[in-house]
Amino acid sequence: MKLTRRQFTLATLMAAGTAGLPVYVKAQGKKTIAVLFDGLYSPFWVAGLDVIKQDLTKRGYEMVQAISDKDDNRQFEQVRAMLARKVDGIIIVQTDSNAVIPAIKAANDARVPMVHFNRPPAKTDAFSVAVVADNRSITNATVEHMVKVAKEKGGKYKAAILIGNLGDPNAIGRRDGFFDVVDKNKDIIDVVARIPTEWNADVAFAGLTNAFQANPDINFLFTSSDFLFPQIVQVLKTRNKFQPIGHKDHIIFGGFDGDAMAYELLKDKYLDADGVQDLFKEAELAVNAIVDLQEGKTVERVLLDPGFAIHQANLEQARDRMWGYSIYKQKNG
Amino acid sequence: MALLECENLRKSFFGVEVLHGVSFSLDRGRVLGLVGENGSGKSTTMNILGGVLPRDGGRIRLEGAEFDPRGPKDALAGGIAFIHQELNLFENLSIEENLFITGFPRLGGALPFINRGRMRRRARELLEQVDIRHPPGTPVGSLSQGERQLVEIAKALSVDAKVIIFDEPTTSLTRREADRLFGIIERLRRRGIAMIYISHVLADVTRICDDITVLRDGAVVGGGPAAQMPTERMISLMVGRTLDQLFPERTCTPTATPVLEVRGVSQPGVVHEIDLTLHAGEVLGIAGLMGAGRSELARILFGLDSFHGGTIAVDGTVIEKPSPRTCMEHGMAFLTEDRRGEGLMMHATITDNIALASLDEYASPWARFIERTRLGDEVGRIGQKVRLRAADPVAALARSLSGGNQQKVVLAKWLLRNPKVFILDEPTRGIDVGAKFEIYKIIDTLVAGGAGVLMISSEMEELMGLCDRILVMNHGEIQAEYSRGEFDSGRILEAAMKRKTSAAAPGAIAEKVA
Amino acid sequence: MTATSLETEARSSGMRRFVRRVLFSEYLVLWLSVLYFLAVLPFVPQMASVEVLRNILSDMLPLLVVAIGQTFVLIVAGIDLSVTSIIAMASVVGASVMTGDGGYLAGSPLAVPAAMLAMVTVGLAIGAFNGFCITRLGMPPFIVTLTTMMFFSGAAIWFTTFHTTTSSIANLPHGFVVLGQGNIGGVPNSLWVVLAVGILAHIVLARTVLGRRLYACGQNRRAAAVSGVPVRKVIAAAFLISGACAAVASILYTGRLQTGTPILGQTILLDIIGAVVIGGTSLFGGKGKVVWTVFGVLFLVLIDTSLKMLGLSLFSVFAIKGAVILLAAVIDAVRTRFAARI
Repeated sequence: MKLTRRQFTLATLMAAGTAGLPVYVKAQGKKTIAVLFDGLYSPFWVAGLDVIKQDLTKRGYEMVQAISDKDDNRQFEQVRAMLARKVDGIIIVQTDSNAVIPAIKAANDARVPMVHFNRPPAKTDAFSVAVVADNRSITNATVEHMVKVAKEKGGKYKAAILIGNLGDPNAIGRRDGFFDVVDKNKDIIDVVARIPTEWNADVAFAGLTNAFQANPDINFLFTSSDFLFPQIVQVLKTRNKFQPIGHKDHIIFGGFDGDAMAYELLKDKYLDADGVQDLFKEAELAVNAIVDLQEGKTVERVLLDPGFAIHQANLEQARDRMWGYSIYKQKNG
Repeated sequence: MALLECENLRKSFFGVEVLHGVSFSLDRGRVLGLVGENGSGKSTTMNILGGVLPRDGGRIRLEGAEFDPRGPKDALAGGIAFIHQELNLFENLSIEENLFITGFPRLGGALPFINRGRMRRRARELLEQVDIRHPPGTPVGSLSQGERQLVEIAKALSVDAKVIIFDEPTTSLTRREADRLFGIIERLRRRGIAMIYISHVLADVTRICDDITVLRDGAVVGGGPAAQMPTERMISLMVGRTLDQLFPERTCTPTATPVLEVRGVSQPGVVHEIDLTLHAGEVLGIAGLMGAGRSELARILFGLDSFHGGTIAVDGTVIEKPSPRTCMEHGMAFLTEDRRGEGLMMHATITDNIALASLDEYASPWARFIERTRLGDEVGRIGQKVRLRAADPVAALARSLSGGNQQKVVLAKWLLRNPKVFILDEPTRGIDVGAKFEIYKIIDTLVAGGAGVLMISSEMEELMGLCDRILVMNHGEIQAEYSRGEFDSGRILEAAMKRKTSAAAPGAIAEKVA
Repeated sequence: MTATSLETEARSSGMRRFVRRVLFSEYLVLWLSVLYFLAVLPFVPQMASVEVLRNILSDMLPLLVVAIGQTFVLIVAGIDLSVTSIIAMASVVGASVMTGDGGYLAGSPLAVPAAMLAMVTVGLAIGAFNGFCITRLGMPPFIVTLTTMMFFSGAAIWFTTFHTTTSSIANLPHGFVVLGQGNIGGVPNSLWVVLAVGILAHIVLARTVLGRRLYACGQNRRAAAVSGVPVRKVIAAAFLISGACAAVASILYTGRLQTGTPILGQTILLDIIGAVVIGGTSLFGGKGKVVWTVFGVLFLVLIDTSLKMLGLSLFSVFAIKGAVILLAAVIDAVRTRFAARI
């Protein structure tokens, strides 16, 4: 089809008309950071995105975001789009630790610093920095507190652990952290149920229900993530096992993440201990790393968030560093 | 004063006038037959009357008052009901729901709940008037075509229609159902309802109509009481010339060479021990009632349906595993009775339709590319041979063609393969008179060229006018055989109906021989 | 009548002719893509950069290959929901053959060709199974491919667990990675592959006996059967082609991610079918062209890219994408109504 010049002009005008007037203007001199998440599946990620956003705004950066929704190819395309957009840095929660490597290489080629938030990539010669919680040691501290409570109470314990998706190094760290401690206390703790959850609440619910059917006397329970609390509470309630500390049917109960429900359960004395990822610190580390990399400073490939365990004894002092508490505060005035 | 008067109706589409002042009138309790070839303006006229199309000129008076429907709903409210060829019923709903779909009786008159009781009572009354014995709750999907038509009539009665328009009501009905319909029409006439009856089946028109109006090219070319309108006169008015004959002179006589030999073909419950021989140069007709197994036999012969026992041979070679493909390879062709459903790809071009059965012959040896130039030339040649008339004889879509030209496309599809045996199942159904004559001529050319034609038809005059021999089927068996010269509609009919317990109306196969 | 009004009249009728020509052109989706591109340009000026245009092209490639396969299936009035699971399954099977971490042929020079062969075999096998169930057992394509989709999505994850402790199979041989990133004569290898698939598909549909038969089966299956078309074989062929195309797409995806992952492509099913349908191929069969699918994919990738560049939240991305596609569908519906009137 042949276009005359007038037709072409008309089409262009129509297009400009459709585009409307508000024209996107890139703020001059303001640095842009891309924040790419895998998904917003649990309060941890929602809060994480929020904390990073606040941190960036405070420092006067502009943030653009994209979510891959569990699609590793889409995440790769998102990284390339951000590189084409000439962002000054990328903070990423990758969908897959292997599939993210080509994206890291692309960022290296474009000389854009890339920081992994909370999930480290697989081993590679491409350069990026990972901010990770020290899952194993945080879990160690948490489970040690649970064991201490058990010893004080006396008696023998049958333990269950809800394990995350083993494709996620965090899940592996938490599992190993749990077994480090219980294996040292085999005299009083016998692990009777290892429940795989694939990071899926329904799978967790079914698995825990089955575990209680096989071993109705489980009385020591650790979950690798706080986002499974609602399902756990439901299972416990149907078996009349959801009892506060001090009750004879109380199950020694621990979790990991430090979300708002964890705080509530601690406050109401249902939860004995919770491993807290220091989200504020992780966000700060991530943004610092990007700034440092831009300035040409050397940064360690892995930046550890030491985290901490929060429990009944240190609840008052430690809760201000717990991200779930700040959500709780916001919600409850 | 007439109940309905149409005066000088005019209508144009895209600046072209298609209706040049059509006038007619209709009295209470009369049936007006409206005949004409496709494109003569029957449908346009009725669509104006039914409120489907606005008119450009002229006037309509209903019971003396000016009538100007702005939509089908308007027309219906005025008392004109239009029963279309394609029925407008919801198959998933019950009879009563269909009857009252435009206005359910409600509880308390206005509440949003259906008054089931009243609906059922009223539905029973209406169904009785049209002789339907099913309970009103029966789903329409389970009714036969004829019964659905009656439901449409009941629907018209539910709004107290004064005029009912029937557009080709019998095309999808069996003969028995058609007779039942005619009975109802008679009953409505006695109640004083006026009707307009549109049909290609002139015998029916003569039988049930009081008056006949003939349209050609958007104008009334003749009319009068049915008694003064013999079929020949209607036809010559419709086509605008006197047809010396309804059937072309046959230009050849059968040879003694058999091209199709069927021996002992049986399929339990369908056909039984069928033996027949078709010779080169012969048109062999198969007569019989609906359900006698004629179409079923045709499908078996072409490998579409399976059978137990018996053989089919073409040119002396027995077809080992009959399937459409193998039958085609042996030189057979099959024109189905369901032109839209099985004969054509309605949304494809003429060329694609004609080429469909011959693709292998026009494919390059290895990559199987279509040789488009050669194919295009051949398709054009065949199109001319069958005298295909279309705006664009190559790229026009099949659905844009008239029935006659559609059928020519199907014939052309098979002609492209040069088959020796043609099985034609109702080749002229739903086709106007002029096109029928052309199809007959094509059939004659086929046999003159040495092929054999097996022709199934429900129109007795067609069989008697064209065939060299007629076989009569009854209950899945060949009941009788007649050669040209012994043809007699009475005897054929008798053979078709023998062993029937109920004495159906003798008009069941051909009530009139032209 | 004055001269000016005559002129306006002429211009307006010219305008009308232009609108009509664009509206009824089979390139409508291409025009819409151009229009959309111009419309978002003020918001994201980088869209016109060479880098972004190159990204758009390379993002289109794998999607285009699956979509071409889907076009064949839609032409015969079928639907193939299993393509995403074929992508995932082929990805992990291929990776399991060639990975340096305990692959079946780790280190062998045959590893890369054998892996690619295995991937195509997976596609053909699942396609053949779909075709068998549909043509021989008479099952509806929707149900058959829905169940194969579910089965092989799960099977891909299960298969992965035998080969790695992580969620994906990495350490693919250098040769495979280079194949995906290399170029011949300045044109990336993946583009060569897609060009070959596209041209071949176009020729099959437009020029060969199989092509005519595919359209015939979609238009009127019964008429095709009566005319001697081997309907079952033709429909089975469509599903086979779709399976093979999905496998080729899997090779391209796996190559660009350098990882065999069982969640590959799991979320793009609607993008695939959507792109084909937006291009103009009918869900009811009998109508479709490879070029249309190219335009449909272009349109979708263009929208996606612009939204990625804008960096909006997930919710606004979904909402805008939905709205733009809806708008395209409305324009299509309007023109179909116009076409029916003429």
